[in-house]
Amino acid sequence: MAVGRSVPVRDAEARVRGTIPYLADLRLPGMLVAKIVRSPFPHARIRHLDPRPAMGIPGVVAVLTAHDFDRPGAPRLFYGVDRKDQPIVARDRVRYMGEPVAAIAAETPEAAEEAARAIEVEYEEQPAVFDPVEAMQPGAPLVHEDCPNNIFLHTRLRHGDLEAGFAAADLIVEETYTTPPASHAALEPHGVIAWWEGGHLTLWSTTQAPFVIQETLAEIFGLPRESVRVIVPPLGGGYGGKGYVRLEPIAAALAWKVHGRPVRLILDRFEEFVTLTRHTACIHIRTGVRRDGTLTARQVEVYWGAGAYADITPRLLRSAGLVRVVGPYRIPAVHVDAYGVYTHLPPAGPFRGTMSFEGAWAYESHMDTIAHRLGMDPLELRRKNILRPGDRFCTGEVIDEAFFLECLEAAAQRLGWGQPYEKGEGTRRRGRGLAIMMKSTLPRSRSECRLILRADGMLELHTGTVEMGQGAHTALAQIAAAEMGLPLERIEVIGPDTARVPYDATTSASRSTSMMGAAVQKAAARLKEEIRQRATPLLEANPDEIIIQAGRAWLQGRPEIGLPWEEILRRHGLEALEAHGVFETQGGLDPETGQGIASPHWHQGAGACEIEVDTETGKIRILRYCAAAYAGQVVNPALAELQNQGNVVFGLGQAMMEQIVFDQGQPANANLSDYPIPSLRDLPNELISLLLESPEGSIHGLGEMTLPPVAPAIANALFDAIGVRIRDLPITPEKVWRALHGDEADL
Amino acid sequence: MAMKQTFELRVNGRIHRVEAAPDRRLLEVLREDLGLGSVREGCGIGMCGACTVLLDGRPVSSCLLLISQVHHQEIVTVEGLGGHGTLHPVQQAFIEHFAFQCAYCTPGFILSAVALLEREPDPDEQVLLEYLSGNLCRCGSYLNILKAVRAAAQGRKPPSS
Amino acid sequence: MSPEVLHPATLEETLTMLEAYGEEARPLAGGTALVLLLRHGLIAPRALICLEEVSELQSIQFNEDHVWIGAMVRLQTLARSPRIHTRFPVLAMACGEVGNIRIRYQATLGGNLAEADYASDPPIALMVLDAIVWAQRAKSKRAIPIAGFFHGLYTTALEPNELIVGIQIPYPPPGARMAYLKFRTRSAEDRPCVGVAALGIFEDGGCRDLRVAVGAACERPQRLPEVERLATGRSLDERMIRLIAQGYADQIETLSDLRGSADYRRRMIEVHVRRALEEVCNGGGAVGASAGR
Ligand code: FES
Ligand code: FES
Repeated sequence: MAVGRSVPVRDAEARVRGTIPYLADLRLPGMLVAKIVRSPFPHARIRHLDPRPAMGIPGVVAVLTAHDFDRPGAPRLFYGVDRKDQPIVARDRVRYMGEPVAAIAAETPEAAEEAARAIEVEYEEQPAVFDPVEAMQPGAPLVHEDCPNNIFLHTRLRHGDLEAGFAAADLIVEETYTTPPASHAALEPHGVIAWWEGGHLTLWSTTQAPFVIQETLAEIFGLPRESVRVIVPPLGGGYGGKGYVRLEPIAAALAWKVHGRPVRLILDRFEEFVTLTRHTACIHIRTGVRRDGTLTARQVEVYWGAGAYADITPRLLRSAGLVRVVGPYRIPAVHVDAYGVYTHLPPAGPFRGTMSFEGAWAYESHMDTIAHRLGMDPLELRRKNILRPGDRFCTGEVIDEAFFLECLEAAAQRLGWGQPYEKGEGTRRRGRGLAIMMKSTLPRSRSECRLILRADGMLELHTGTVEMGQGAHTALAQIAAAEMGLPLERIEVIGPDTARVPYDATTSASRSTSMMGAAVQKAAARLKEEIRQRATPLLEANPDEIIIQAGRAWLQGRPEIGLPWEEILRRHGLEALEAHGVFETQGGLDPETGQGIASPHWHQGAGACEIEVDTETGKIRILRYCAAAYAGQVVNPALAELQNQGNVVFGLGQAMMEQIVFDQGQPANANLSDYPIPSLRDLPNELISLLLESPEGSIHGLGEMTLPPVAPAIANALFDAIGVRIRDLPITPEKVWRALHGDEADL
Repeated sequence: MAMKQTFELRVNGRIHRVEAAPDRRLLEVLREDLGLGSVREGCGIGMCGACTVLLDGRPVSSCLLLISQVHHQEIVTVEGLGGHGTLHPVQQAFIEHFAFQCAYCTPGFILSAVALLEREPDPDEQVLLEYLSGNLCRCGSYLNILKAVRAAAQGRKPPSS
Repeated sequence: MSPEVLHPATLEETLTMLEAYGEEARPLAGGTALVLLLRHGLIAPRALICLEEVSELQSIQFNEDHVWIGAMVRLQTLARSPRIHTRFPVLAMACGEVGNIRIRYQATLGGNLAEADYASDPPIALMVLDAIVWAQRAKSKRAIPIAGFFHGLYTTALEPNELIVGIQIPYPPPGARMAYLKFRTRSAEDRPCVGVAALGIFEDGGCRDLRVAVGAACERPQRLPEVERLATGRSLDERMIRLIAQGYADQIETLSDLRGSADYRRRMIEVHVRRALEEVCNGGGAVGASAGR
């Protein structure tokens, strides 16, 4: 069986030989280099912009400014998911440091650089605001004039009688948690090659969402969709950062201006930091609980700092931003208010563990505060309230595949929860903590694929799923091989290329193995039907007596009477047989109440850890970390395991060190020395990955599940060790030290 | 001020003649002029190791070297390991131990490991970290990378899966 | 415009070139720092004088009463040299802590000193070793004691056209014990928040000589002789160690950056000076102690 086996990824050899072609390795004839001119100010009026000095520089082919969009037949200047608030290049105002004001296409990088320096821009600085809570205050500088209070969206979830819930509580606990902006820091930067030719636009892009790009650009340029083709090479990491329209509009507009020659735009590391960040979140959480630990009510208010443009945040706020901040608990009354707030910072977007990371940071730290106030064991408190199969979530939906408790217990047990351990002494103290998280995947989204059986016996799988290191193409090929009973070598994966493969919503939210996998299963069933139909006349039998498996069609019980598939195609004179597979999820939430179906299935992951803290410095060492995920049916155990480990490593960075520091809107650490990411020596002394399998269960994506618990599990262990509660990430030694020695700090 | 000059570079056992400004970074020369795509820019400041090459066997960051600094030494990139149809044992171990996800970091890690094993055929954990901890993997494949390098060091076959 | 890159083969040639170009030339040692300065347009020299082939700068010589380390000796060489490790463990440890292995294979001791990065390890170690920096110009040569070499953030006592040719380090008396501690607050690959080097010479249970240098927390690495002297002739007991640690914490003017605030750093100096001294006291072997993380 191809499913359930650890096979190396399909292009493993190219990967270790370094020959796998990332975007930066593509070379097209006549290709130009692009460079973006960016605003040095977080908020300013553009008084004057003169591109002419750049145009005279030898090697400069085109300069794009907002003026170009006034021409008849020009593309639209503004785009966005809900709010078309973002200009491709700024017109009269810049709203974050790094916002594009012009773009240059030139023969060489040197010419492009020189041109960028030559463009004259005169700015008039304006007051700016950077914190979402401050941005909502009366009198705060407005990011967009048509948006009072800078709140561009307020979404709500209303479940049960909140007042009654709090009235029934013996104790009400209220806290505020925050998370800072962070950088995805994929080692491969964002890049695009755009080529306009005869009314057609072709883009090679480092995107996780080729069909979203296609649709958006067709709209910007007023083209039919078929006139825009998006091709995605393998990505050098995505983590959500390549999940939505990013550089494509500006690269395409520049290519439109150049006309006839491909233009390549690749960001440098600094630009990565000012192109997309994680949201800045401020979460107020208030929970009512009875003395015995039963939760009675929870109220959550979240301010999502989205940066200067709404980008994809409105879509996130209608579901993820509500349901991912509550926690996997049975609570009779839940109210959530989520606010999307503009600030003068770079736009924020999806980020591995999107909004679950922030949510779990708040609700899981909060659960331990409650446990402490009640004098209860944190695991016991969770056991008492956790969602079990058949329970109703705060959206009103019933959760059937619920393994939250199993995940939590598995991690806790592996750590030895409840058993005595060395607590440390003197300046080295040890503590233990755990956390669980619940993440929705995308409702109302569609994945399609095509399977083509060729006359030479090879099976082509056409899919829009993007390979970004998660091994999705390998897992999908394994699913196709298993369904068709073919060896893996006979599967060829084609795509993603919008001109060749059928539609897929996006490669994000850990949906690919599960949703695209389901589409592959459907296509395989259909393909078998197609083969059966063609085999019926040749085998002179009833269709339902024919077995289609492992490359042959034969009569039930008489395997000697049968034909290879190639032969069936040949006899019918067919080049190929083709079948389409579609998988769609339903659901969606009521916009007023947040009630409905938030997710076709739920991601479930837990973490438990033991740490040692140096009380003199505040420095934490993670001794042991156990990460448990509900994996359902596992397609490729080795890849699943790898994803799970990756979650913990990524989560450690978010928990302990990562934060883009903005000083009055200017990034103070926009490089990989001042913005650290976890290294080999930062791993826990012991990292244990636990995957809860259930062969009857559905297939799940595993690229996020155990990430959100990392930060609260560490914070809870810290509290256990020394009684210090950190509420703002990251948990740095200095914060821990200040919490311990606050008064000495002023010496 | 200097214009382009001709440099002779010894890369992967062959001599290449390159026209370049004397302050062009080795990273760009290898990628753009010689088409060696395994040498990649991640940070551009010596932190990540995606641009690692071996210079007379020593691992260095090609983003921090000017072409003028290297024209007498032997440069090795991952393209120069293994042969037609055969992989270097370290490459083989990386496949067998699932030591990468997106693989953007992989050539750098492999070269660091090769440099390590050439100097220390039987490295202890401390030396292993000395050589490998300066390469960053954002996908977090570290545990498997360690396994792969340990296995390559011991020349052992991995447990069959 | 690209600078010209010159490749002198001898020291004499190098110095002549430096003289000829004046301030328009920059010596290029390993290049790990210089290449970034060039790239970010922070310097735009007309010529780079590559020291790679200058034979006089490449060697380590163990002389009668001191070691001579050529300016172009790589940090990795120092970190891994058994003789450096035996004689000057604190230097080997500090060099082994710099950046990552690729940096250490490229960067040189002379280049490291000339850059005067406040958050670098080797200068802190050289402070407790009483190293002497030898600098040369076409017609003159001078010895700069390390204590006076660093003037502030990225500034040194070097004159224009002056080149570091080597570092001379007297052998510490036998029995000297040393420690280097590097304290990082974020990733294990991060630059230090505080670095402390310590060296103690003991005699009949008492302390004959104590040297402590602190760096990374302040604009330049510093020793406080008055505080060091508190230990002279006394036993380096717990009380004394605390007194010295307190002295460093009180007197060093700390700075704030992403790796820690000035207040925090002051307290971390106290903690790490104390720990370094504890290591020196309990360091076991006559010379050397292990670097802490
Ligand atoms: S690109 Fe050279 S080390 Fe990162
Ligand atoms: S595998 Fe993606 S960065 Fe290492």
